[in-house]
Amino acid sequence: MLQIALYFALLSLVSVGGIPSVMPEMQRLVVDVQGWMSAAEYTQLFAIAQAAPGPNVLVTALIGWKVAGAAGGLVALGAFCGPAAALAYSFGGYWDRMRDAPWRKVLQRALVPISVGFILSGGYVLATPQGLAWQNALIALASAATLSATRLNPLWILSGGGVLGMLLF
Amino acid sequence: MEFAPPKSLLELYLGFLSIGARSFGGVLPWAHRVMVEERRWIAPADFAEVLALCQFLPGPNVGNVSVVLGRRWFGPMGAVAAFAGLMALPLVWVFGLALLYADFASVAAVKAVVTGVGVAGGGLFIGTALKLAKPLAHKPWGIALAVSCFGVIALGRVSLFAVLPVAALLGWSAARRGVL
Repeated sequence: MLQIALYFALLSLVSVGGIPSVMPEMQRLVVDVQGWMSAAEYTQLFAIAQAAPGPNVLVTALIGWKVAGAAGGLVALGAFCGPAAALAYSFGGYWDRMRDAPWRKVLQRALVPISVGFILSGGYVLATPQGLAWQNALIALASAATLSATRLNPLWILSGGGVLGMLLF
Repeated sequence: MEFAPPKSLLELYLGFLSIGARSFGGVLPWAHRVMVEERRWIAPADFAEVLALCQFLPGPNVGNVSVVLGRRWFGPMGAVAAFAGLMALPLVWVFGLALLYADFASVAAVKAVVTGVGVAGGGLFIGTALKLAKPLAHKPWGIALAVSCFGVIALGRVSLFAVLPVAALLGWSAARRGVL
């Protein structure tokens, strides 16, 4: 549990772009390095977090819970949110004062492609729990296309994924 | 129309509680609806500014919004109250669903549905990334950086801790030269 707390606290500080960005690294840790669960179980935990209301950061609580019980879940959530929250807490006022600083605009522009690459990776990792199968590609691309083309509540898109999953897997 | 911050810690907590309780399918639209439209705590432009900061900072975006605004209105206690309100009910939901799922995980059909939901969730991230990528359309260096990040992390399975410093350095120097 200590290990997961430390690792999530570190991850918290590099989660530029939010939870989607760190999905690949978390999966690498809990599936590839530690072997706490399979890639399929990881995607299923993420599905549960998506199906519930609330920020998708709750997936960290589920990972902690799977590894070390309910207390592990709370510790993992706290570890992931704490350092970033402390940063937001201390940075909030400063950022407002720097509204027109040139370095702030440079930094914002620099982070766009990085966030795009990271979030794309998060999507890919979650969408390929059994490797690059055509069923996964079909569901993921249909979901991405629906999100881009319509203003449907994502919950409907997730439900559609559930129906396709039942038919295809 | 006037905008005024919440009058008490309790009002702040209850407002974030209602954001968390209703936010099926994404928190951000509900955060906007509750704080800007229903309770009129904060003006739209101000909200957009706070959100831009929180998307730039690491960590969960709306979680950061709760901390920044809670602090602005009530100091440390405000940050704690807003964050706790946001997380309380969703946390009960996820643990409830996870316990329920644990009972049915051996049923193949249930597993297939849940896996499908997870894969579709991954697809949502892909769609979000493509939306974010629109400003890069005429910036080949930006596209190259995004694609390299994807290749190295998703396909190469290299640790984020190794990739971020290099990518940040490349992005920074490209942005300084005006090609991003």
